[in-house]
Amino acid sequence: MNSSNGNGSMSTASSSGAWNGRDQFPAGLRVLVVDDDQTCLMVFEKMLKTCLYQVTKCNKAETALSVLREHKNEFDIVISDVHMPDMDGFELLKHINSEMDLPVILISADARKQVVMKGVTYGACDYLIKPVRIETLKNIWQHVVRKKARNTF
Amino acid sequence: MDLVQLQRQLVDYRTSLYHEGFLDEQFTQLQSLQDENNPDFVVEVVSLFFEDSERLLNELSKALEQQVIDFKRMDAQVHQLKGSSSSIGAHRVQKLCIVFRNYCEAQNVEGCLKCLQQVKHEYGIIKTKLESMFQLEQQILNAGGSIPV
Repeated sequence: MNSSNGNGSMSTASSSGAWNGRDQFPAGLRVLVVDDDQTCLMVFEKMLKTCLYQVTKCNKAETALSVLREHKNEFDIVISDVHMPDMDGFELLKHINSEMDLPVILISADARKQVVMKGVTYGACDYLIKPVRIETLKNIWQHVVRKKARNTF
Repeated sequence: MDLVQLQRQLVDYRTSLYHEGFLDEQFTQLQSLQDENNPDFVVEVVSLFFEDSERLLNELSKALEQQVIDFKRMDAQVHQLKGSSSSIGAHRVQKLCIVFRNYCEAQNVEGCLKCLQQVKHEYGIIKTKLESMFQLEQQILNAGGSIPV
């Protein structure tokens, strides 16, 4: 089954997420990005699309969780801001870890060690400090492959 | 003023914004994201930033006028301003937010009031400068020229 990325062109991604024969990978990587700040969200979306990823954006953690629950197996990775009103990134991370098998990257302008530590110990596969550069986003596919490899072996 | 002069003026103006620390390389990242499919990307993102910032600055002003000051909420708002200013490369605003957060954490009212004034001041400056820059860009486009990188 072919899925299209945000630029309207077709990638060879299958909905099960297997990588065999996906020579356009990581193009078409299915990313869910969550941030309550609309400025940051717009920048992330553009950067991720420039990486040729398929991007879905949410400005609330609760919405992101509903989307993930309703569309299981349709996302490869979640990127979430830490400090959000109502549900924060840590809580979202906990829910995702207990309910599904998705790598989660936390992002924040908060670089304090205790906060980063919390993210890592809660199970975030990475913690990025804003502003995030596009070069960093170009490498996030590694977390997806790493998680799948760990699950297989 | 002819096209070449306009273009030169823009390059000089932009360079000065970096040299004087108003903008940092994140702004360059934004410009590199703009393409023919999204020719107004930078203006759109910056407009969102202006909208968000003005709302946050108003809320912070109100918060500091209260009898009982909610430092925790203020800290969250300053944090958000720090995040959005960093995402567009508004360097001076971002740096002031760090100081501001320290005062919130210390629950220092005087410090917070002083910081808020400074942030408002710096925000006003970067807003004016970016608007001038966009106007210059528009003049160049209207004259049939292209924006120099």
